[in-house]
Amino acid sequence: MNTKELTKGIFKENPIFIIMLGMCPTLAVSTQVWNAIGMGAGVIFVLLGSNIFISLLKNIIPDSIRIPSYIVIIASFVTILEMVMHAFMVDLYNALGIYLSLIVVNCIILGRAEAFANKNSVLDSALDAIGMGVGFTLGLTLIAAIREIFGAGTITLINLGDINVVFEVPGLSESPIRVLALSAGALLVMGYLKAFFTWYTAKNEKKAKEAK
Amino acid sequence: MKNYLKTGIILFAICAVCASLCAFVNSVTAPRIAANQAAANLEAAKAVSGGMTPGESVNVSLPEYPAIRAVAPLTKDNGDIGGYLLELGGSGYGGSLTVITAYYTDGSLIGAKLTNNSETAGLGKKAENDWYMDMFKGKGADVAIPTSKNDLAESEAAAISGATITFNGISSVIRQGSDYVKAQGAK
Repeated sequence: MNTKELTKGIFKENPIFIIMLGMCPTLAVSTQVWNAIGMGAGVIFVLLGSNIFISLLKNIIPDSIRIPSYIVIIASFVTILEMVMHAFMVDLYNALGIYLSLIVVNCIILGRAEAFANKNSVLDSALDAIGMGVGFTLGLTLIAAIREIFGAGTITLINLGDINVVFEVPGLSESPIRVLALSAGALLVMGYLKAFFTWYTAKNEKKAKEAK
Repeated sequence: MKNYLKTGIILFAICAVCASLCAFVNSVTAPRIAANQAAANLEAAKAVSGGMTPGESVNVSLPEYPAIRAVAPLTKDNGDIGGYLLELGGSGYGGSLTVITAYYTDGSLIGAKLTNNSETAGLGKKAENDWYMDMFKGKGADVAIPTSKNDLAESEAAAISGATITFNGISSVIRQGSDYVKAQGAK
C-alpha cells in the first residue's frame, strides 16, 4: 500500500492551498463549519466514486471521448449524492444549495480524474481520492472556522434540524466582524491562509536545501 | 467509420449504466423527498395560521398577483372565514424561494415562513428563522408591509444587512399577498 498517495493531498499537495483547485465552492459554502464538513463529505464521496470508476475504465474509454465520459460518470455520482442528501439530510441539502450540484464542475474532481485516476491503479486512485478529499475538507473547514468564529461568533458543528451542536464565542457573538461572513471575507481569509502556506512551504524548502 | 461506431457505443454504454444507476437511486429517494416536502409545508402552514384551520388549497395563477401560487381559506372555530393561507413564490439572491403566509381578512400578516430557497447560508438563510418574519407580523392593514430598509427600525435594518436582495424578494411577495387578501375582502 502506498501511503504517500493518501497523505500528499492533506498538506504537501493540498487541493485548496497548494494546487488551488475547487475555489468556487470553497469561497461560497465556507460560512459555517457544518456546511464545510457536509460539502467535504460530499466531495470525498464523489471523488472516491469517480476516481475508482475512471481508474477501472481507463483502458476501455478511448482517448477522444475521455472528457465526456468523465463528466457523465462524475455527474451521475453527484446526482446520486444530491438525491440521497435531499431525502435524508434536508437541512444540509438546503444549506449547500446550488453548490452541491456544482460539485460536477469542481476542478478537484475532473482534475484528479485527468491527472491521476486515468494513469494509476484502482487502489492508488482510491487512496488519492481519500487524501485529496480529506485535504479539501480540512482546508474548507479551516476557512469556515475562521469565518464563522470571527464573522458570526459561533461554531456550528452539527446542524441536522433535531440535533444541533452550536457553540457561541463569548464577546464575539454580540459584535462579530461581519465582513468575514460576507463574500469579501472569504477572499480575505483565503488570501492570508494562502500566504501562510506559501511562506511555510518556502521555509521548509530552504531548510531542506541548507541540510544538503 | 468503424472507429466512430465503437467510440459511440462505448459512450452510449457509459451513459446507459450511469442513467440506470441514477434511476435506481431516484426510485428509492423520490417518495421520501416528496414526504419531507409535504411535511414541511404542512408544518409551515400550521405554524403561521395562528390557531385557525386551513381549508383545501387551490392552485392559482393570477396576472395581477404573479407571486401567489396557492390559496386556502382559514376558518375560525365557529366556521367563519378568518383569513387566508397563501403560498407565495418569488426570487431571492440564490434563485427562487417559497414563502408560506397567513393573513387576516383585513390583509394584516398573521405569520410567514420561508420554506424552499437557495439563499446563502449565514446571510439570506437567516430569513428561515422565526424572528425574521416578526418585522412583517401584524402589518399589512393600517401599516404597509415594509419593503425597503428605510421602513424598518434600526435594529431590524442591521439584521438584514448583507442580505438585502433576500429581504426585497420576501417583502415584495408578502406585500403582494397582503394586497390580494385586501382585494378579496372588498369584494
